[in-house]
Amino acid sequence: MLGAICAASALLAGAVSGEARAAEPASTRSSVQQDGLAQDAKCTVCHNEAWRKPVLSIYQTPHGNRADSRAPLCTSCHGQSENHQKDPGGARPEVVFATDSKHVSPTDARNGACLNCHETGKRMHWSGSKHQSEDLACASCHTVHAPQDKVLAKATQPEVCFTCHKTERAQTHRISHHPILEGKVVCSDCHNPHGSTGPKLLVKDSVNDTCYTCHAEKRGPFLWEHAPVTDDCTNCHTPHGSTNSPLLKARAPWLCQECHSGDHSKNIYSGANLPGGNVTTINGNQGLANQSPPAQLSARACMNCHVLVHGSNHPAGAKFQR
Amino acid sequence: MKSNNGRFNVKPSTAAVRCALVAMAIAPAAYAADAVDPEVAALTQPTSRIEAGVGYVNKDSAKFGEYNGLQKKGAYGILNLDVRGGTYGDNDDGTRWKVIGTDLGLDTRDLTASYGQQGKFRIDFGYDEILRNRSDTYQTPYQGAGGNVFTLPGNWITPRVPQVSAAGTNFRGLSPVTGLAPALVTGVSTPPTAAQQAIVNNIIATDVPLFQNVDLHTKRERYDGGFTYTVNPLWEVKGSVRHEDKTGYKPMGTVSSQVSEFSATLPDPIDQSTDQYNLSATFTGSKAFFQVAYYGSIFKNNVQSVTWQDANDLTKFATMSSAPSNQYHQIGMTGGYHFDPTTKLVVNGSIARGTQNESFLTGEQNNQLPLGLPTQSLNGLVVTKIFNMKLTARPMKDLNVMASYKYDDRDNRTPVNTYFFQDANEARAAAASPFNSALGLAANTLGSNINIYNNRAYSKKLNQADLEANYRIAKGQSINASYQFQKIDRDCTGAWIDCEDADTTKEHTGRIEWKANLVEDLSGRVSYAYSQRKVDNYNENAFLALVPMANALGVGGAATNGTTVATQSALAYMLANGLTGYGPLAGFSPPYTGNALIYGNNGGIIPQALYGSRNNINELPGMRRFNMADRNRDKVRGMLNWEATDKLSFQGGADYNKDDYDNSVYGLKSAQSYSLNFEGTFAASDDLSASFFYTYEDIRSKTAGDAYGANSNTANVAGFTGIDPVVCYGTILARNLNGKQDPCLNWSTDMRDKVDTLGLAVRKTGLMGGRLRLGGDVSYARQTTDIGVNGGSYVNNPLAITGAPAGTIAAFFIAAQNLPTVTVKTTTVRLNGQYQIDKSSAVGMIYIYQRMTGVDWSYQGMQYGTGTNYLPTNEQAPNYTVQVVGVSYTYRFR
Repeated sequence: MLGAICAASALLAGAVSGEARAAEPASTRSSVQQDGLAQDAKCTVCHNEAWRKPVLSIYQTPHGNRADSRAPLCTSCHGQSENHQKDPGGARPEVVFATDSKHVSPTDARNGACLNCHETGKRMHWSGSKHQSEDLACASCHTVHAPQDKVLAKATQPEVCFTCHKTERAQTHRISHHPILEGKVVCSDCHNPHGSTGPKLLVKDSVNDTCYTCHAEKRGPFLWEHAPVTDDCTNCHTPHGSTNSPLLKARAPWLCQECHSGDHSKNIYSGANLPGGNVTTINGNQGLANQSPPAQLSARACMNCHVLVHGSNHPAGAKFQR
Repeated sequence: MKSNNGRFNVKPSTAAVRCALVAMAIAPAAYAADAVDPEVAALTQPTSRIEAGVGYVNKDSAKFGEYNGLQKKGAYGILNLDVRGGTYGDNDDGTRWKVIGTDLGLDTRDLTASYGQQGKFRIDFGYDEILRNRSDTYQTPYQGAGGNVFTLPGNWITPRVPQVSAAGTNFRGLSPVTGLAPALVTGVSTPPTAAQQAIVNNIIATDVPLFQNVDLHTKRERYDGGFTYTVNPLWEVKGSVRHEDKTGYKPMGTVSSQVSEFSATLPDPIDQSTDQYNLSATFTGSKAFFQVAYYGSIFKNNVQSVTWQDANDLTKFATMSSAPSNQYHQIGMTGGYHFDPTTKLVVNGSIARGTQNESFLTGEQNNQLPLGLPTQSLNGLVVTKIFNMKLTARPMKDLNVMASYKYDDRDNRTPVNTYFFQDANEARAAAASPFNSALGLAANTLGSNINIYNNRAYSKKLNQADLEANYRIAKGQSINASYQFQKIDRDCTGAWIDCEDADTTKEHTGRIEWKANLVEDLSGRVSYAYSQRKVDNYNENAFLALVPMANALGVGGAATNGTTVATQSALAYMLANGLTGYGPLAGFSPPYTGNALIYGNNGGIIPQALYGSRNNINELPGMRRFNMADRNRDKVRGMLNWEATDKLSFQGGADYNKDDYDNSVYGLKSAQSYSLNFEGTFAASDDLSASFFYTYEDIRSKTAGDAYGANSNTANVAGFTGIDPVVCYGTILARNLNGKQDPCLNWSTDMRDKVDTLGLAVRKTGLMGGRLRLGGDVSYARQTTDIGVNGGSYVNNPLAITGAPAGTIAAFFIAAQNLPTVTVKTTTVRLNGQYQIDKSSAVGMIYIYQRMTGVDWSYQGMQYGTGTNYLPTNEQAPNYTVQVVGVSYTYRFR
């Protein structure tokens, strides 16, 4: 019955089309476009505007831009699914993307549909990447039919990533953090979830090269380089959030003392050296005006003096003070 | 959540409407866009939106407004838009455009636009502002914020505490509590005299009003442009450019004088720009793809230096260099080939040049560069070569394998020269450097406190191989196993001696993971990884590369353990004695033999002047820099996902990480962390959902050091000999004879962060006949930092002076104390609602409440009256409660 009604509608449309076409500029519709919509129609006849999911909204997206000969048909991704057409209630489409479906297709089948067209660009290193080996599907993160894919919008992308990366979500709530929750820095600014040549799916070949895309002033090369800086920014920093500003893995001076033990960096810095600590009140009862906590434990600690820890270009800046 | 795919019973009465697209497709010319069924159009045609309104912030807070632009009390504009156009549906000729603006009424605005004909071209534009408010409590007496020369007001009086020192600078004189406190005068606590009080009061009355607030903030403004041109279905060319201006002020510690460590924190002016360029051409074939790409980054700093007046000595100025302008250009190629549907090879290679040739600062101040400069600019060059190769295959139906190789060579070819400089504002020592003659200089040209340093151009070469296999044991169950070998070689171009702590580190990592759908609604995974990193030979003398004079014969050297260095270079002396450093050897205990002799009674380390340095730049033998030290690493991951019902699901996970640096006697010895995650989502209905998460993270690290002292025969302090309490040594003599091995001077720290984070979100739509939707989020984060310290230090008893009673304690041993707990609690509530007036109009409301309470001892030292030798800034730990309310009107159209 349904098929008959549809066929009739199509015939009717075809009957009147000749008049309309005569009044229309030829450039507004291409044969590619017509073919695409026609072929999609065998799916959209059922998966239409009344469908429980807004599948037709794909026509707002690049995938539904029928003027582009590269844009996929429904069957490009879901397979020809002839059995499904014959028996919609029984047979499933050849490729089912919905991860919440019992009949979801194997990941390779789903991703294959996407990679047929999207193998290059940012996805060149997908094969063998972390997310691929973890069996993630493209549809695990992307909502292809939605007019606005959450993972492609700055404001909502972190929500998608935090679905799995829960510790990183918590870290963005710490007192020192990149403005991820504020939507000014997003995960994909630093990471390419589709695979990369860098560690941790970073967008560049190394941690440092990734950081330098926003922090180019720290790239140098400097006259006086600080070895751990050129080695790896994450020697001292943790990127998602920290209890120690600015995104430091630990507090100075102790962070510095993890590598430095000469001269005054060998000294002990404890609560006894704080204002009001034992060293400043010998015997516990002498308020001594000539006692003072060391500068290394106050204010900006080691960076009160060695502020150019990322490197100095001053001829007298070997100690990062100039 | 469970799905229900069964909805194929289409009623004939509605079938005609539902076949609209069929008809459109077959006879597209018959349907103009306005003829499309409204329900279809609602899905296939984009909806544009413009939101405008006004908000109000009830309180100033830089921390609340750190990144959101809401740092000031008062009204602000709400303006967001998302406008899309072009041809959609059956009239689609591929042309589409959109303009999206966010927070346009704030200093965090973001605007993007694109226009293109899909399959042919697209152009993109963007403008983005990123504001970071750093502090609104920072104060400074310096004038000149906004420029790069900072001076003190003409009436500034250098602070001092005359009852302590009549002429010495002492910033504690800015507070009446410390400035007017009694001082010990010949062992007697003595209040300041009236004249002394008048001096301090005058300082306070004059200087304190000179401290002015400067809002510390930085702002990035980004301008983006880009294009995509599709040459044909096989070739595509892309390009983009980003220009960013960064301006503002950030706090910068500056040391005016290293000798007495006089330091001031200045509002460092930021005026920089970065231009980034990307250009690529990509070929996509049926079995192969190829891309050639260029990336360029040009950083320009418009502030070359910062100069400031010395608050300790107003006759002097000092100058700090700013980050030098630099450039980076990279050309890369990537290719991929499918040998068959399941076997693929991807190869990538690139070469890059990073350069920096900013002119050195030549304005010599305070005789800082007595011999001038060996070169006027660095001519810095780093050439980076990268090669990657990855082969993936599926040799069996259920087995996926991957093999990859990575080569990353950062070759720093920056010229190495010798620089002669005095430390920050330090006067030349009267004594002559031992190296004037060796350098061909006239006698007494350089003082003994000269620094004669070579720059070090650090290079790093990575070789890494990975193997990975993923085998599906059964449906829904798989095992992943991988192995990685990583070798890192480090060296310095042109260094006169090995400059790296670890020339080569090798790390082996094995990992195994099991994933399973345990039962229908329960899935999980668990993994374990173990890494072992080894250093071939840890080089404790790497610091020598900095000081070429260690290889020169000096004159007039001091006796060191019975040997006069004047007869041999510092290096020769070290080699002759088989030493591995200048400090005390870890773990030695009496009787001292062999190498340890140098640290025996009355043995002194080689004075740093004898290797041309103002400081002891060596590290403790046994110190291992953690990024290059032997390390054993364990990682455990686990996760469970339970779909309890169609509407209710839970996830739980745990991570555990542990790093052991077993061969590091000093430095970072261990680091471990674990986190627990729990999350639940509840979708009660199509219009009601809720979610909850909780994360606990525990991060811990342990470090060790040794604050070794000098050995001497000194037996008393003003005639008194006792130490109290007796922990290691009971007398001054015993302590001094063993200053380099005193176990009481060994120290360790145990740093621990504990963080609880939880969140709750509720969404309700469909209220008031579908017109009203409400949402709310609550989050709470509590973080604590505890730093435990073991060890202690000696302090001479200021009452131990000539004439003091017999039995007066000569020195105290002050046991270390743990640092006070740092605590920060943040509570955030966000509510929003929107009422749909009609099809195109809606009104919305937002409410934000955020409260942060911070207790942090690090701010203590920034206040008046805390430090003798650094200028207070009076910054306050963040404590605020801020509320924001906003109303807006949204207009939607198509």
